Amino acid sequence: MEADRRVVARWGAINLLVLLYALVPVLWIASLSFKDPATITDGHFVPRSWTLDNYKGIFKNDDFVRGLVNSIGIGLISTVIAILVGTMAAYAVARLDFPGKSLVLGFSLLIAMFPQISLVTPLFQIWRGIGLFNTWPGLILPYITFALPLTIYTLSTFFREIPWDLEKAAKMDGATPFQAFRLVIAPLAAPGVVTTAILAFIVCWNDFLFAISLTSSSAARTAPATISFFTGSSQFEDPTGSIAAAAMVITVPIVVFVLFFQRRIVSGLTSGAVKG
Amino acid sequence: MTTATRAEPPADPGRRAQSEGKRSERNLGWWLCAPAALVMLLVTGWPIVYSVLLSLQRYDLRFPDRRGWVWLENYVTVLTSPFWWQAFGVTMVITVISVVLELVLGMAIALVMYRTLLGRGLMRTAVLVPYGIVTVAAAFGWRYAWTPGTGWLAGLLPAGDAPLTQQWPAIFIIILAEVWKTTPFMALLLMAGLALVPEDALKAAAMDGAGPWQRFRMITLPLMKPAILAALLFRTLDAFRIFDNIYILTNGAQGTSSVSVIAYHNLIGGLNLGIGSTMSVLIFVTVAVIAFVFVKGLGTSTPGQSGGRR
Amino acid sequence: MRLRRAVRPPAALTAALALTAGLLAGCGGDDGGPRVVNLYNAPQENIDAIVRRCNAQAGGRYRIALNTLPRGADDQREQLVRRLAAGDTGLDVLGLDVTWTAELAEAGWIREWIGADAARARQGTLPGPLETATWQDKLYAAPYNTNVQLLWYRSDLIPNPPTTWSGLMRESARLKRAGKPHYGQVPGAQYEGIVVWFNSLVASAGGSILSENGERVTLGPPAQTALRTMRAFARSAAADPSLSNTKEDEARLAVESGRGAYEINWPFVYASMAANRPELLRNFRWAPYPGIDGAGRAPLGGGNFAVSAYSKLPRQSFEAALCLRDPESQRIAATRDGLPPTIESVYRAEGMTQAYPMRDTILAALRTAAPRPKTPTYQNVSTVMAVALSPPAAIDPQGTLRTMREQIDDALQSKGVIP
Repeated sequence: MEADRRVVARWGAINLLVLLYALVPVLWIASLSFKDPATITDGHFVPRSWTLDNYKGIFKNDDFVRGLVNSIGIGLISTVIAILVGTMAAYAVARLDFPGKSLVLGFSLLIAMFPQISLVTPLFQIWRGIGLFNTWPGLILPYITFALPLTIYTLSTFFREIPWDLEKAAKMDGATPFQAFRLVIAPLAAPGVVTTAILAFIVCWNDFLFAISLTSSSAARTAPATISFFTGSSQFEDPTGSIAAAAMVITVPIVVFVLFFQRRIVSGLTSGAVKG
Repeated sequence: MTTATRAEPPADPGRRAQSEGKRSERNLGWWLCAPAALVMLLVTGWPIVYSVLLSLQRYDLRFPDRRGWVWLENYVTVLTSPFWWQAFGVTMVITVISVVLELVLGMAIALVMYRTLLGRGLMRTAVLVPYGIVTVAAAFGWRYAWTPGTGWLAGLLPAGDAPLTQQWPAIFIIILAEVWKTTPFMALLLMAGLALVPEDALKAAAMDGAGPWQRFRMITLPLMKPAILAALLFRTLDAFRIFDNIYILTNGAQGTSSVSVIAYHNLIGGLNLGIGSTMSVLIFVTVAVIAFVFVKGLGTSTPGQSGGRR
Repeated sequence: MRLRRAVRPPAALTAALALTAGLLAGCGGDDGGPRVVNLYNAPQENIDAIVRRCNAQAGGRYRIALNTLPRGADDQREQLVRRLAAGDTGLDVLGLDVTWTAELAEAGWIREWIGADAARARQGTLPGPLETATWQDKLYAAPYNTNVQLLWYRSDLIPNPPTTWSGLMRESARLKRAGKPHYGQVPGAQYEGIVVWFNSLVASAGGSILSENGERVTLGPPAQTALRTMRAFARSAAADPSLSNTKEDEARLAVESGRGAYEINWPFVYASMAANRPELLRNFRWAPYPGIDGAGRAPLGGGNFAVSAYSKLPRQSFEAALCLRDPESQRIAATRDGLPPTIESVYRAEGMTQAYPMRDTILAALRTAAPRPKTPTYQNVSTVMAVALSPPAAIDPQGTLRTMREQIDDALQSKGVIP
């Protein structure tokens, strides 16, 4: 009994450490975002006087609102396309036998490890030339590209776990491989697809390098890039509170999403890794 | 890459015989993969070639008239520049230290999540918070935390210390930010690896009198080796291209540039497409070498996980 | 207007987009309202008042829409050049730092000022600031505000301000012996500020960093003297331990907090002292920038207005730029935001006595102020110099000079790497 309680206490302490590790830095940003200008430089972890002005301020800031719209729009479009294209490829990889399969996998792996900065110079130049610079498609294209490897790998893992006998049965009943895919497998695969979509959206939402390199105005600049260009009201005032509030605004929805789908995301992130 | 030693779909002798079905399967496979392959090729293939072409030219946007072929001169310039090598060194230091820390810390957190008796779900949920936060947002948090006056962490330092304006303290903070953000990802990968270690083997070893540390070292670690190597490969390459954290925390001041940051500065700040492209090519080559060493030298089998975090 | 090139977002977002787009671009284009001239400028608290005044004066010919750039000069430049490199037509009037003129002019991104516009921009403008808007004898911008650094000191600690750097070091040593605040606050961090310091020291010693046409490195013995002075200062009783992290703002705060006895800084510190530490203001005095053996040549700063080469409304843009920097606008900027005017007559305008008790010292300093080197690659030149000079205590006059000469040479040929 005594030993049990000690074990529980020990695990409690260890868990608390992990919790602090994960949450303290986020709470600090939250705390900054609720401080008023007079106390923002006081260094206290907990605000001494609370205010919502920082949040009101950023939603009155057209550039930030526009950045949010861009982030959501570009992120959603990229995710949808990446999932569409990636599902097709992942199905082929998981289910079909065809020459060139290893090439597709190898190539997407290459992209996953690719240093994005190596694309910035040529894309900057090419996009300027063909008019994609500072446009939505100018960001959507690279985002799809870097979301695809993740999509293909994660989805193909999910697809392998689907009871494929059903597909066989459908084929016996005279369905073409495409009909079997569309009518039988796609509904079964939906949960995996949703998980993958969340992961892909996070990749797009989190991007910063492309967002600051391939845009030049709020026409296409996403929220993280907008935040990094926030200006204070005068030359000598740092927009700390606004940046903290904006950081919370772009963080909280994703964190809530991730927490809500926690179980699926953990399996999505890890399943590919060990079963490969 | 030697990736595709994946499970083939079970052969079905009845159907296999029909070459008609086989050909349609092959065609379907190609058609399904074509869009993905096309997009990836289009966005990376041509730019890489173009990047190599640009790296052989003198091309500074501020002097549009003086553009011309200089062949390898840009490479000589970059490879003899102390700034480049400093950035390269800093990147290496950040990569090695942060990956090692992530491995150790990630393993610890993985063990906690896997073995804890209380609130397993809560633990797994909490560690996803750093994963879900936008890197730039987190980096601002760290920056303000270490800003004298504003920050709660800076308050712990002697007055007048501004760690972000000194080279080594700043690098340390960059590593801290990087490790905090990515360790949970590492921990999740390692936890999946832990699941592969059979309980029976651990129990048997315990019967034979092996202590917890011995069991971990003799049984858990060897069995997890593939998972560890795969996680290391992806994190190493990911850490090598570090950009967001440095851009926000120091923007490369005081010798804290990584190769990605210095390439960005030469392109966007310096408008020097020739030098910028040369750096792009060099970074690409370095990443290829690292991947090669991992795959050939250490026998990492690349997994189906892409770590596409940024 | 700027939305035209963006792809149409899904229907659900269109409403929100239309709303923000209207706010952003002003959408004055085709509906018969005034044409919108987009002004991009550094943050300035009361510039709204100037913009409103010009819009009222324009009488419907144009309407200026203010867009604020980031705070840091490097970030401002980065944003501007990226858009200019892309040929963005959404930029019309650009607020430029004095050091960018050559770069943007050489790249063909800003328009030359000619004819009546140029004449109006030159009229009554101080020669020093005007020179910063000129590249290869052509005018590329209209000077808006200027700036000079002065010596700001506490007269309760230093009754007679020294005129040389060695004099300052002696004062610090004396104060230290007396157990009083003795630090001298100088921008010594690795950034543009340390280059400004070095440039003024070289000029005070009778030299220059680059040749007149900006194509050759000169440096030489005056640069040696400047390096020796910086090193000596950084190792003297005057040097705050945090010298190598000090920028203008840290210098200001250190003197306001009583840690520093004097500072080398821009005139904004006066208004700041008045606001933050009114009790110290009585003893807060100014003196000319210190020199090597005689009078020093103060650093010259400021901002100019240029018109983008890609502007679709050049006529209106030139007119708007001229209004934004006319005597009345400059008076507003000077009295409300503390920006020293570039038009000489404004120094005698109403309200200037209260806001600018140091105006005669500023005017005198402007006559000899040292502009920074003129070259299209100034960004690179400045960056490599800042690295070579940092930290100032570690300067090795011979070695630093040699490295600096090589790296500036590379930078001039745009084949150097910038860190």
